[in-house]
Amino acid sequence: MKTIALYSIKGGVGKTAAAVNLSYLSSLLSPPALICDLDPQGASSYYFRITASKKFNSDKFLKGNKKIFHNIKATDFENLDMLPSDFSYRNLDIELAEEKKPQKKLKKNLEELSDVYRFIFLDCPPNLTLLSESVFAASDLILVPLIPTTLSIRTFTQLQEFFEANKLENSKIHPFFSMVEKQKKLHRDILDQFRNTPGFLSQTIPYNSEVEKMGIYRSPLNAVLPNSPASKAYRNLWDEVKALLEMPGDNHAA
Amino acid sequence: MLPNPKTLSFRLNRTISLEELSEQIVLSGFKLEAVSSSKEQREFYDTFEWQAFGKRVAIVKQNKTLSLVDLNTGQQIASAPFAKNSSSFFADALPPSIVKDELTSCSTLRAFSRLCMLDVISFEYRILDDNKKTIATLTSESLCLTEKKSQGAFLHRFALSPLRGYEEDAAHVAQSLATLDEESTPLDFKEYFLLIMHEAEHHVRGYSAKIMFTLNPHAPIHASARQLLQFTCSVMRMNEQGIIKDIDSEFLHDYRVAIRRTRSVMKQLKGVFDAGNTIYFLNLFRELGKRTNELRDRDVYLLRKESYFNYLPPFLQPSLQLFFRNIAASRQPLHKQFFHYLSSSDYQSSLKEWELFINHEAPPDVEQAPNAFCSTKDVAVESIKKAWRKVIHHGRQISRATTDEELHVLRIDCKKLRYLLEFFSSIFSSETITPVIRQLKELQENLGDFVDFGVQLRFLQEELATKAEEKLLAASIGGLMTTLFQKQEAARLKFHKTFSSFDHKETSQLFHDLLTCTLI
Repeated sequence: MKTIALYSIKGGVGKTAAAVNLSYLSSLLSPPALICDLDPQGASSYYFRITASKKFNSDKFLKGNKKIFHNIKATDFENLDMLPSDFSYRNLDIELAEEKKPQKKLKKNLEELSDVYRFIFLDCPPNLTLLSESVFAASDLILVPLIPTTLSIRTFTQLQEFFEANKLENSKIHPFFSMVEKQKKLHRDILDQFRNTPGFLSQTIPYNSEVEKMGIYRSPLNAVLPNSPASKAYRNLWDEVKALLEMPGDNHAA
Repeated sequence: MLPNPKTLSFRLNRTISLEELSEQIVLSGFKLEAVSSSKEQREFYDTFEWQAFGKRVAIVKQNKTLSLVDLNTGQQIASAPFAKNSSSFFADALPPSIVKDELTSCSTLRAFSRLCMLDVISFEYRILDDNKKTIATLTSESLCLTEKKSQGAFLHRFALSPLRGYEEDAAHVAQSLATLDEESTPLDFKEYFLLIMHEAEHHVRGYSAKIMFTLNPHAPIHASARQLLQFTCSVMRMNEQGIIKDIDSEFLHDYRVAIRRTRSVMKQLKGVFDAGNTIYFLNLFRELGKRTNELRDRDVYLLRKESYFNYLPPFLQPSLQLFFRNIAASRQPLHKQFFHYLSSSDYQSSLKEWELFINHEAPPDVEQAPNAFCSTKDVAVESIKKAWRKVIHHGRQISRATTDEELHVLRIDCKKLRYLLEFFSSIFSSETITPVIRQLKELQENLGDFVDFGVQLRFLQEELATKAEEKLLAASIGGLMTTLFQKQEAARLKFHKTFSSFDHKETSQLFHDLLTCTLI
C-alpha cells in the first residue's frame, strides 16, 4: 500500500482536483484505491457526490479500524472507494491533540487498510497543523500543487523550513506546478526558475476551464473528458508519481 | 479485499414495465436511470458428477467469457476468456488462469459439459440518490431455454447490487420493489441455479457410481440382490450416452465397473437366482465386458500420457508423441465399434431382457434358487467371511518369489471381497466397515499397481516388436519399459509387507467385529 497526500498550506491551488483525478487514474490500472477526504469543506466528497453517513464523525475517524471500514463508500467508479469528509473534521486537530502520539495516529489507522487498498490518496485541508504533521508521517509521497506565483512559492519554502526544523523526511515532498497559464510571463519565469530543481515533478497542470467545471460534472475530469489537455496532464503526472513509487532510490535522491 | 455488499435477488411472476419500475423507485425516494439492455446467450457447465456444484461453484459462459460463480453468494470468483464453442471441455486444456486452477481442482478426468443454453434478455439500471450518486445497480432478467424459445421466459428476476456504504438505502429500495408483485419471492443464486437446472430437466447431483442406497438386513437376499442389480443396471444406462458421445473416459470406466459389480453379485451370491438364468446373464455380461476391454486399455494409456512423458529424459519425449498418436488412432475404430454396438437392437434387447429379469418381483423357485429366501444379513456375513478367508488363505500361500500368477489370483480375491463389502456396507455401521475397507484398499492398491505395470509392460513389448525399425520410438519404449519394470518390482517387493499388515491381528479383529457386531 502506498499513501499519497495532496497537500498545500495555501488553499485554491488545485489540490482536490489533483486528488480526485489521480485517485481515479490509479484505480484504472492498479486497483483498488481509496481517497480520504480530510478537509471539512468536503470538496472531493462533493466531486464524487458522496456524503458521509449521519453517524460518521471525526471521533470515529480517529478510532480507526471497523469504524473506518463501515464508513467507506464506493464511488461510481469501479475499484475506487472513498472515505468521505464530515464537517466535524474541523475539530480533528483538537481531538488529535488528546491522542497519545498524535503525529503517528493517521499512519496507524491507515495501516489497517493496507490489505485492502493498493493506493490511498489523502486530500488535505489547507493549513499547517497537528493533522498535517500526522499526514506527513503517514504518507509515502507528499504532492504539493504550486501556482507559479511568488506567494505560492513562499508557502512552499515555509513547508520546507518546517520539515527541516522538525527533522522530517524532506525527500517525501514533491511539488508540481498547477493552474499554469503559460501566457503569463510570471508563470513562465517561475517555471524556468524551478525547471531543474530536485524533487519537483516535471509535469505541470494547465489552468483549464474544464477543471473548474468538475464542480458541475461532479466526476473526475479524466472520466468525463479523458482527452482534454488537463486530463492528459494528470495522466502524465500520474505516470511520474508511479515512477517515483516504484523507484524508491530515485525518490530519496530527489 | 473488502467483501462486496450482498446482491439482493428476487423472482417475479410477471414482467414489469419500465414506467411501473420507475414509479416504484421514485416512491422509495430514489431515481432510476437506464444504463443498457442486451439479449445474450448464457450457458452453464459441469461434469457428469456435478463436481463444480459439489464445490459450490457454478460455471457460466456468456459473452465469450467463462466465469466461476460462488453458488452461495452469487459473486464471481474468477473469469477468463473462452471463445470455444463446443459442448464440452477439459479443465487442463484451458490456458493458465485462476479458472483453470479452480476447475482442475474439481476434475481433470471428467469433461465439463454444457448443461443448458439460455436466451437472456436483461436490462441494467442505476439507482440514484438526490446527488445523482449511484447507490445500487439493478438488473432485470428474463430467461428462456434456447431450445424452448417458443414457450417464452420461465424466469423473471431482479438483482439489486448495493454499492459499498449504501446497503441500507438499497434494502429500502428492495422492499419497495418487492411490492410490485405480491407473489415475488427472494431468490438466492443457488435457488436461481437450481430453477434453471430444473427447467433444463437436469437432476442436480443425480448421478453417482458409488453405492449409496440402504438395504434391509432382514429382507430376503433375493430382494436385496435385485436392488443391487437394479442400481448397477441404472449406472450402465446413465453412462451409455456419454460413451456414445465420447465426452470423457469415465463414462466407459463407470459402465465397466457396473458390469463387474453385476457379475460379482450374480457369481458370489450363490443359489439366489436360478442356475439357468445365472449362467445365461453371467455369460451375457462377460461378453459385454470383453467388448470394452481394448477401448478401455487405450483410454488408460491416453490418461497416462503425462506420466509417461515424465518417465523419459527430454530428448526421448518427442518420439513418444508418435506412440500416443498411434494409440489415439487405434482407439477411434474401437470406439466406433462399441458405440455402434450400444445403439444396436442386439444390445438393447439384451439389456431389456436383463431389466425384465431384475424387475421381476416374484421370488424364484426354491428348488432352483435354494438361498433366495435367506436373510440379507446372513448372506452378507457368510459371503464376506468366505471371501475374506479366501484372501487370507491365498495370501499366506504366496511364495517368497511372489510370482505374477500368485499376485494376479490374489488381486481377484481382493476385488471380490471389496465388492461384497461395498454391496452390504449399508447394513453395517460405518465405524466398523470403514476401517475394514481402508485396510483392504491399501492391499488392493499394491496388487493393482503390480498387475497394472505387468499389463503395460506386455503392451509395450508388443509395440516394440512392431515398431522396432523406428529407432527413437524403440528407445522411448525401452526407456518406459525399464521404468515400469522397476516400478513393478518395487510393487512386488512391497507385497509381503503390505499383506502382513493386512493379515494382522488388528485387521482380523476388525473383520471379527464387523461380522459379529449387531447389524444396524
